[in-house]
Amino acid sequence: MSTLRDNWRVIFLVVAILLSTFALFSPTMGAQSASEADSATNLQFGLQLDGGTRIRAPLVGVTAEDVEFEGDSERVVERQVAAQIAGADAADVIARTGAESNTVEVTIENVTTDDLSAALDAAGYGHGEVRDGVTATTREETVRVLQSKINEAGLSGGTVQQVTTATSEHFILVEVPNRDQSDVVDLVGERGTVQIDIYHPTGTDNGSRVYETREAVLTQADFTSIGTAQESQTGSGAFVPVSVRDEPASEFQTAVQDTGLAQPGGTRCTYMEDGGENTTEGCLLLVVNGDVVNAFGMSGGLADTMRAGEWADAPSFQLQTRNTSEAQDIAINLRAGALPARLDLSGEDSGTSSYISPSQGESFKFDSLITGIIAVLAVAGVVFIRYGKPQVALPMIVTGLSEVYILLGFAAAIGYPLDLSVIAGFIAVIGTGVDDLIIIADEVMAEGSVTSRKVFQSRFRRAFWVIGAAAATTIIAMSPLAVLSLGDLQGFAIFTILGVIVGVLVTRPAYGDILRLLLTEDR
Amino acid sequence: MVEFTVPEVDYTRYTNRQLAAVPLAVLAVALLVIGGWYVATGAPVNPGVDFTGGTELRIATDAPQSEVTAAFDSQPESIRSVAADGTYVVTFQSGSATSSELQTQAEDAGFEVRSIDAVSANFGGETQLLALGGLAVAFAGMSVLVFAMFRSFVPSIAVVLSAFSDIVIPVALMNLFGIELSLGTVAALLMLIGYSVDSDILLNNHVLRRSGDFYESTARAMRTGVTMTLTSIAAMIVMTITATLFGIQLLAAIGTVLVFGLTADLMNTYMLNVTLLRWYKFEGVAR
Repeated sequence: MSTLRDNWRVIFLVVAILLSTFALFSPTMGAQSASEADSATNLQFGLQLDGGTRIRAPLVGVTAEDVEFEGDSERVVERQVAAQIAGADAADVIARTGAESNTVEVTIENVTTDDLSAALDAAGYGHGEVRDGVTATTREETVRVLQSKINEAGLSGGTVQQVTTATSEHFILVEVPNRDQSDVVDLVGERGTVQIDIYHPTGTDNGSRVYETREAVLTQADFTSIGTAQESQTGSGAFVPVSVRDEPASEFQTAVQDTGLAQPGGTRCTYMEDGGENTTEGCLLLVVNGDVVNAFGMSGGLADTMRAGEWADAPSFQLQTRNTSEAQDIAINLRAGALPARLDLSGEDSGTSSYISPSQGESFKFDSLITGIIAVLAVAGVVFIRYGKPQVALPMIVTGLSEVYILLGFAAAIGYPLDLSVIAGFIAVIGTGVDDLIIIADEVMAEGSVTSRKVFQSRFRRAFWVIGAAAATTIIAMSPLAVLSLGDLQGFAIFTILGVIVGVLVTRPAYGDILRLLLTEDR
Repeated sequence: MVEFTVPEVDYTRYTNRQLAAVPLAVLAVALLVIGGWYVATGAPVNPGVDFTGGTELRIATDAPQSEVTAAFDSQPESIRSVAADGTYVVTFQSGSATSSELQTQAEDAGFEVRSIDAVSANFGGETQLLALGGLAVAFAGMSVLVFAMFRSFVPSIAVVLSAFSDIVIPVALMNLFGIELSLGTVAALLMLIGYSVDSDILLNNHVLRRSGDFYESTARAMRTGVTMTLTSIAAMIVMTITATLFGIQLLAAIGTVLVFGLTADLMNTYMLNVTLLRWYKFEGVAR
């Protein structure tokens, strides 16, 4: 029994190593998805080591706080404000009634706080401070929509979250494994708005037709039960079958009658042809992200049911596109919804983006492992040369490595993704660890051989004062970087601190015990 | 088996003035270099892509360097070739082209894009603030802790001063060797705070808290401390070389800065710190 009690530190180390082994290799541990289950360990790798794309960007927009809505509804406010801003329509303005204050946001580029302030004044709404950035609600909505877009597009493992910098700027962080940058930017870089405009002739002027566009007769929110994109049976192109909600359906029915689209025999649309814009009959325009992607007329049969007012009873509709991939994009956008604000991916104020190819990640993984092992061998070499005693040097190396092993187990247990910065943290841990072990070894072996346990204990305690003091300074030095949520040094700081804690509490005391077992004759 | 023993320095042969002069002179030169850099370039050290903003591409190709340069519409700020895996690391300044454009240009030229890192100027500025703020807070925290541990002015200031010098000297050397400030080098500077304090605390502890002759205590602390620092230097030199060959810039940058800093630490601990302690022990206490 007494050996057990005497060597509790070594036992503690062994238990910690066993726990790590369990966390690393047990198939029951770790929230592994089926696709990752084939890897040998439960370790999760970050994008730097596994390949993928990371985008960190702020949202485009300006916000006015404490806006007096003067009894107008949010929709009315949005329309009134949009009318005062060049290039904005109602979809670019978000009015929110909050518990504490009402806000108005404008989420298109190149609108300054002064512009919004002037627009609110012109529209007759009193307001408080106007600032850059969007509201917290808008950020949350954006995160939700982005996540569902990524899921809809089948980018498995993609995550979206909000991060806040030290100076309390807000960024949206998108991480998608195994995809290259342009795939991801294509998906998340646009707001993904889908709407139907009606383009129709209103008369003639000097023999040429004059046209008018009635915008947003149907928008994203008006569509329901979105089908899968499919190829047209007749001719080229593809379409997405959708239904339209009741209320907008009857409004749409009225609109196509008013604009003459539902004339007897329907309309033939030549909008997309060269010069067709000025000669076509009335068209329905399919507008995605503000660009017209397709235009189509109305068949005679459909026009008849519209005029008879029967269409709205079963309002199904086909969004026709020129090719299948366009149809797929539209289906994704309709299901996920439009982003309330766009990610700012270019310009001075934008964030960062990075892409690592899976092969580069794989070679980083292997190369950094080799680099680490070589660094450990260098340490081992110096230690052997310095002490000449394998019973001092060998446990030193083993203890140092077990620190990293325990940290790896910890990372696997909490599912922390390993990146290069975490590996740099491991190297820092080995460095400070071996320093401490040298202090212990020198202290214990000072002034001749250690003959009794009592002498050993007092020397060990003296050594520990220095180690504890050095550990405390390292923890203090790293903690600012560990708590700030932004910055690639966070993993480095967290694992250096963890390593120092594990080292001081578990591994380094155990090394002392191992040394005592090997050096003292009096047991 | 070859054994190396840490040589014992006969400190009695040198006066305090002689001993302290060298590290203080080096520190002064380092501060001059940094100051001069600040006057000349507007920054104490050249900030890298992480802080200024810009785009860094890593591409795999057999083509010669000139061909790589020609493939891009905008002039790269720098091109480095990584021999180990036949790739080039090409850096562009912020605002010269978007990362998607650069990706397209590289792919059009038939290069395989292995990685892209793009940082906007604004975000870089933010990161720089964070990194330097973190460094300052870390240093202040360390100083407070050291004063709390030793509770007397001279030994504490000796630790803080040599830690300061351990950070300033590598920064000056980074300027001279053309190493840019990156997240990796900031990490290394932070690690230096921890590493440099190790051996200083050890020395102070041996001299102040143990009975025995000053020179004997110093010699014992030195045996341990020099072993520690030499072990770290050896590991870092090896790591720097391997990481450079493999083109893992983060680890190479950390290694280089740590080698500079640990070498400076040897000098600072055993010339500056020892001198201050000796003065404190023989004259400061007596007064």
